[in-house]
Order: sequence, then C-alpha cells, then structure tokens
Amino acid sequence: MKVVVAGGFGTGKTTLVGSVSEIPPLVTEEVLTQASIGVDDITGVEGKTSTTVALDFGRITISNDVVLYLFGTPGQDRFWFIWDELAQGAVGAIVLVDTRRLGTSFPAVDYFERRGIPFVAAVNRFYGECPYTEDEIRSALELDETVPLLWCDARDRASSKQALIELVRHALARLPATT
Amino acid sequence: MTHDVWDGDDEAEAGRLVPLYILVNGRTSPRNTSLDLATQVIALPADQSRLELEYREILQQCNGWISIAEIGAYLHRPLTITKVMVDVLHEQGFLDIGSPAQEKIADRWLLETVLAGLQRI
Repeated sequence: MKVVVAGGFGTGKTTLVGSVSEIPPLVTEEVLTQASIGVDDITGVEGKTSTTVALDFGRITISNDVVLYLFGTPGQDRFWFIWDELAQGAVGAIVLVDTRRLGTSFPAVDYFERRGIPFVAAVNRFYGECPYTEDEIRSALELDETVPLLWCDARDRASSKQALIELVRHALARLPATT
Repeated sequence: MTHDVWDGDDEAEAGRLVPLYILVNGRTSPRNTSLDLATQVIALPADQSRLELEYREILQQCNGWISIAEIGAYLHRPLTITKVMVDVLHEQGFLDIGSPAQEKIADRWLLETVLAGLQRI
C-alpha cells in the first residue's frame, strides 16, 4: 500500500519519510521523456535528451503481507505525471505545509481535492510557534472543513507517525458505511 | 537542475541508459498496466543462465518480496525501465507478482490493519 507525502519544495517531505521509515530512505529516479516536451524549456541545452527526477521513499512493514510505502513527491509541480502514478491506488496523502510559504502547498491540496483522494494537511513546525491560527491556514489553503488539519514536527518519529494515523483514520471515515 | 540527490557517476549512468533500453527492445511501458511502484515481486525458481546480466541483477534482489521502487533504487535504474524489465521477467516466468496496490484502495479491513500496525510501531 502507498501513502503519498506531498507539499511544496522544502516543506519537509524527505524528513518526514525518513523519520518514520524502517529503512534509510531510498532514492529512485525517473527519466523524463515525452511527457515533458513543451513543458520543459530546453533552450540552450539542446544536447540534453533526458532529465532525471529523484523520488524518495521509505517503508513500514505492517504485517507479513502488508507493507506501507511512503513516497515523497518531487518538489517541482510540473512533474504531474509522476504524481498520477504515485496517487493511483494510494491510501491517501499527507500534504505538508510550511507556514512561511503557505502558497507552496496549495497545488498539492488542489491536486488531491480534485481527484477525491483522502488527504490530511500537516503543518510542519520547523521553527517554534506558528504565526497563524488554524482558521487562517484553512482559508489560505481553501481547505474543506472535512479535511483534517494537524500540527507536526517532521523530524520527530512519533509526530510523523501520528500524521499517518490521522490519514488512515480519515481514509476509513470516508469509506461507505456498508463495506 | 531537476534532481537534488545524485550519488552515482554521471557519465557512467548516462552511458548505460542506452543499453538498458535496448535490453527491453525499446519498450517504454509494461504490457501489464497494473504494475505499480509499490507492486511486490518475488523470484521464482528457474534457470537464469540465459538471461542478460541486467535481468539477473533484478532477480538477485527478489529473494524475498520486494517492491519495484526498491529494486530501482538499489540498482540505480530509472523506474520506467525497472518496471518494463520486471514485466518481461514476469511474462517469462521468472518472477511472481503480488496483488497490485490499486485493488486494495477501498478495503476497510486492510485500512484497519494498517491503522493497528501503525499504532503498534
């Protein structure tokens, strides 16, 4: 099973994956091909035929036959085709929010909202107190009231684990009552 | 520019891409479209002596269940290529494939298992 960890560049995605993963986070790469033509400006680098984008991920073994993978999305929003692959079949997503740059997480919120994928917004407290109230953050990100908003410290294992637990609870709550 | 972590030798990696694509006859996507980064695979007992080294390297990673993403990361290979190679190995009977992640999305029992598992760790 998969969980996607999203958020803008520098919001702590890699840190969160690393703090809960049972293995040191792995980095894998995807090669950009036709999907980026017309999007990537390659003027001046004509000799360049492929571009590599790094994806980091970790794993948590739940039981003998259930393994949870956490995938951090690439920081750049233009790699949407990778987001699609990551999001397909995922339990849901944790969207990390950096209060100094709220806007960088908006595309991720928008992405999961549009596709009806369960997600929680986790405000990463890097540096002490958050200057905004929950309402201010909700309205800045246009978060639906049903979306859980929580505070976390991506460096802290227990805190990252709690964000995962909230996500799974949220995903469960969204299931139809009769399954 | 577009990747922030790179621990390999740039030139060697760039030079190896071409042979990898030749190994899969230029296929750019797996025939089995349910293959996913989190799909688990495992090696089946079979004679590997006629396989190319790059395929044997994949099988060596698969003594226990392992995800396609992990294979790609350990072998420093692009995910798309890894996925296609896994697909080829599966078609030829060298690998078994676990249930795809996509089928499990709305499974209450599974989500509850995950929840309980997370609370235990």
